[in-house]
Amino acid sequence: MVRIHEPGSEYVLNFCTKHLGRSGDPPPPDDENATATFRGQIAEAWRFPIIGLVREKDVGPKADDLNLVTFVYKSRSGDQSPVSVLGTFASLCEPLPLKPVLFEGEDTGYRSVSVTVPKGELHTYKFLVQGNYYPDPINPQRVRFGNGRVWSRFFTDEYLQPLILELWELRLLYRLVEQILPFRTAEAENFLQRHYFSLDKGQKVTQMAKAFRLDDSVGEVNAIDKLLAREEAHRLVDYRVCLKQIDRALRALNPYTDPYLIPAEQYIELYNSMAASRPGDGSVPGWDYAAYDNPAFFIYLLRRHAVSTAFSHPKYAGNVGAAGWAYLSERYADKAGATLFDWEPALEKPLGTSEYYR
Amino acid sequence: MIDKFDVVIIGSGAGGAPIARQLVEKGKSVLVLEKGPLLRPSYQVPGERSDFRRDEVYASGTEKILRVPGVANVGESYYSSHAEPDINDEPHVYRGVKKLPDGSEVPADYATIEGYTAQLVGGGTQLYGGVSLRFTPTDLRLKSFNAGRRTPLQDDPNGDALAGVRDWPVTYDELEPYYALAEELVGINGQTKNQVKPFRTGPGGTPGPGPSDYCYQRPLDPNPISAFAHAGMVALGQRLPGNIEPYRPPLAVITEDHAPSGRRLPRAKNGQPDREAAKTSYVNRYGDPLGLKSNTWVSLLSPLEGNPNFTLRPNCVVTHLTSTEGRVSRVHYFDPGGVRRTVEGKLVVVACSAVESVRLLMLSGQEDPAFATRINSSGLLGRYFLTHCFGGARALVPGRYDKSKALDADWATDCCGTDEFLEANGLWAGAAIYNNTSDQALPLSLFRTHGSTDLDTLWKGFMYKPQMRANGFINFLDYEFGRGLSVSFMANQVPQRDNRVELHPTVKDKWGRPVAYVLKTWHPHDVYLMKLMADQCAEILRLGVASSHPTYDIASDYDLNRKYDRNNEYGGSLGSGGVYQAENALARMANHILGGARFGTDPTDSVLDPNCRAWEFDNLYVTDGSFMPTSGGANPTLTIQANALRVAAHLLKRL
Ligand SMILES: Cc1cc2nc3c(=O)[nH]c(=O)nc-3n(C[C@H](O)[C@H](O)[C@H](O)COP(=O)(O)OP(=O)(O)OC[C@H]3O[C@@H](n4cnc5c(N)ncnc54)[C@H](O)[C@@H]3O)c2cc1C
Repeated sequence: MVRIHEPGSEYVLNFCTKHLGRSGDPPPPDDENATATFRGQIAEAWRFPIIGLVREKDVGPKADDLNLVTFVYKSRSGDQSPVSVLGTFASLCEPLPLKPVLFEGEDTGYRSVSVTVPKGELHTYKFLVQGNYYPDPINPQRVRFGNGRVWSRFFTDEYLQPLILELWELRLLYRLVEQILPFRTAEAENFLQRHYFSLDKGQKVTQMAKAFRLDDSVGEVNAIDKLLAREEAHRLVDYRVCLKQIDRALRALNPYTDPYLIPAEQYIELYNSMAASRPGDGSVPGWDYAAYDNPAFFIYLLRRHAVSTAFSHPKYAGNVGAAGWAYLSERYADKAGATLFDWEPALEKPLGTSEYYR
Repeated sequence: MIDKFDVVIIGSGAGGAPIARQLVEKGKSVLVLEKGPLLRPSYQVPGERSDFRRDEVYASGTEKILRVPGVANVGESYYSSHAEPDINDEPHVYRGVKKLPDGSEVPADYATIEGYTAQLVGGGTQLYGGVSLRFTPTDLRLKSFNAGRRTPLQDDPNGDALAGVRDWPVTYDELEPYYALAEELVGINGQTKNQVKPFRTGPGGTPGPGPSDYCYQRPLDPNPISAFAHAGMVALGQRLPGNIEPYRPPLAVITEDHAPSGRRLPRAKNGQPDREAAKTSYVNRYGDPLGLKSNTWVSLLSPLEGNPNFTLRPNCVVTHLTSTEGRVSRVHYFDPGGVRRTVEGKLVVVACSAVESVRLLMLSGQEDPAFATRINSSGLLGRYFLTHCFGGARALVPGRYDKSKALDADWATDCCGTDEFLEANGLWAGAAIYNNTSDQALPLSLFRTHGSTDLDTLWKGFMYKPQMRANGFINFLDYEFGRGLSVSFMANQVPQRDNRVELHPTVKDKWGRPVAYVLKTWHPHDVYLMKLMADQCAEILRLGVASSHPTYDIASDYDLNRKYDRNNEYGGSLGSGGVYQAENALARMANHILGGARFGTDPTDSVLDPNCRAWEFDNLYVTDGSFMPTSGGANPTLTIQANALRVAAHLLKRL
């Protein structure tokens, strides 16, 4: 049974107004083109549905394992037609009604409902408006099923399965990213093994499973996949096009081996030649510059993504078990052995040790 | 919905909130309209989860692509936090220069995030570093000071550096009790000893120091890395007139329970207050989930919640004011659903932060020609726009330190702000100098700001160094991590008539209204001042390190091809400079957005009267940073707050 929560209108409006509060009416739900235009004008439409935190008061200590997911539909102030949401996070035979969001007691035109969903999950949903089902007009994440039907999609924090990149793409990416980050030196590998080994038993079951899926050092490739699925979906095309070119270039370097298995030296050779390439100069053998004229730019992009995912909060699915931070905190210590990157006291339990911040 | 109030205040930051606090206390009915959301610290949230997160990605945002039509940086990446406006929706545009392939330069317009503070209840004080310095008495009378100066000004080739300088219509002595009141109400820790500003008033308006140090709470222990800054400031002070020593800078973070706002420090397991709880380096640019940083929401407004004469409407953007016969009759706004609404106030206070306040007044003028004539009778609305001359020096110091436990700054010195120093160096005005401790303390901030210091060029330095990878990446970390120390200066910028905010002729915001257009340049004397001050900052680092490590080579540079052993000590990559050198120097504002509606005693030479009332309106006041005729030799917020408290006292007499 899905549990409905009432975080209050203030909570919902705080997330909605900046993004959705422009003047003008929302489009009719059945007008695909108008809906696409509407969505295109929303800053950070990816923030919907709102994936928030659950208050301990409402669910007890389980709060750490749950997200509060708030679905928002924009209607017109005073419009009485009911809106509900149907999705895989709840019973598929029972749409949940959205309620008007009020401001100083008056209808704002927003409709919303909040439910708790476990972290690490992926779901699809639709809105039921005036008797018909439509994908969420705001959320750009969508999936098309085999039967041609389009549903909206969301995932909660720490979702660790690949979502949009294909296996061959993930494997290439993994090999490339390991040339950037510090985790594939012998010393660092050694550290990671010790780190995961030293986790307590409960953590080990979850974190080890997370970390070694995909043979991925601290989960950064998985986190990049999430970034491309949501916040930086505009970069998916760079990855799609470039990974194809990288595959071609690697095959040009080494025609006899599956690109995934090519020795690191050749990845480095490719990385360096991409980094040295100037737009359109044709300098990377095997790379089709008509498809993507600036291989160096892709290296820049990948560098930013690699470090941001390896060292950001683990909720983004990289830095699994805070291994990236732990690496730094072990590497830098004073003469007495005390760490010089003591990140834990600032952060929430169970990740960190703060008594106050959650 | 109630639509009549004694006072309507637009903007809930440093300029607006103090007025709301004082007027509600005295029983007046007050409405605060705030464009941004109301994000609460955890102690105000049932279940104790704040919407502020100690999360580097959340705080600085993922990549977005600029799509504003017609500006030269279309297609560029930008990063903005959840507490800032989106610049595709509402850009600020500045006039910059574009380099053409043949090397020549042409003027071009760029969209920028500079010029915004933050958009939420509390405004910029939610994200600020909290450095809460007073201006010096000289800062408020720079015209008189320079009229009587003995030495000529340096680098003033056209002799116009002082043309736009005005004394403030209030003196330091008049402002002093309000400084004290602001320090008391906001909740600030620090040290008065060694500051060159006179302190006279204690808590509750009593003369002399209070139980601790005038109105300050006790500072926390500095981060050990700051000892170099301290030593350097001592040594520099000894070489300059007056032998002025450093002090612990006032920071708007409570370190004790704070009676005026009812905030309490969190209690440790043993029941004792945990004074160190705020020391996390998630400080500058972070909202504080514990509410220990004294933003105007936790310190001034939230204690008013539940008071029947206090109304706060967050998520409401004011679009314009309309007037009849020199009285603002209505304030027009969009409610959170985008519905147009209006309210009335006997008095109306505009405090949207300078660029947006000037814009709001200009947009109101577009709707109503009579309003336009009155608000701009001097022809100066938007003119004498100011930020600060700022910059500093950075070096790696011997040893390695845990920078993850820090507040924004640990030591400050006024040795470059004395009249003697200004005379000796041919300067028109002085600077405060302080060290930054929390900068680059967290991993992403270290990478993201490597080789770039401003919001428009984040990540570029790191991204464009592809050689820094695998072992090279470790080498970089071994060299840098926990070793960087920077010292900054904050100085007056020469006021120039043509430095101004206008409405942009073509670029519109998401509601179809013209956006703010910032046109400004640096005066040659600004450049001179910044070079000189950056040298002082570099000197602080040099002297500070030399005092304990005489053989350390602070100037040697990082070499990508060299192997650095993390247990050895290497040189310091000392670098220094001022903002005028940045690629986008014309955009940069240090989040200090001032001037554009200066106050004064002459209606033909100022936009506001000495009480910050628009000269030709009976009931319209402007109290954010735009009132300043000169920008002060220190960070501006405490002065904005003190002035707002002064205006509040005046408003009380009128109601
Ligand atoms: C990262 C950062 C660090 C900083 N560090 C320091 C520091 O250490 N020391 C220091 O002194 N200063 C610092 N500052 C600057 C400080 O935040 C500002 O000086 C101060 O907040 C300015 O006060 P204000 O009243 O002018 O504007 P704000 O405090 O920004 O308040 C303006 C408010 O008006 C709202 N608003 C705007 N337009 C409208 C509208 N049309 N309708 C309704 N509401 C509107 C905005 O959303 C905002 O909340 C820092 C700023 C930033 C961003």
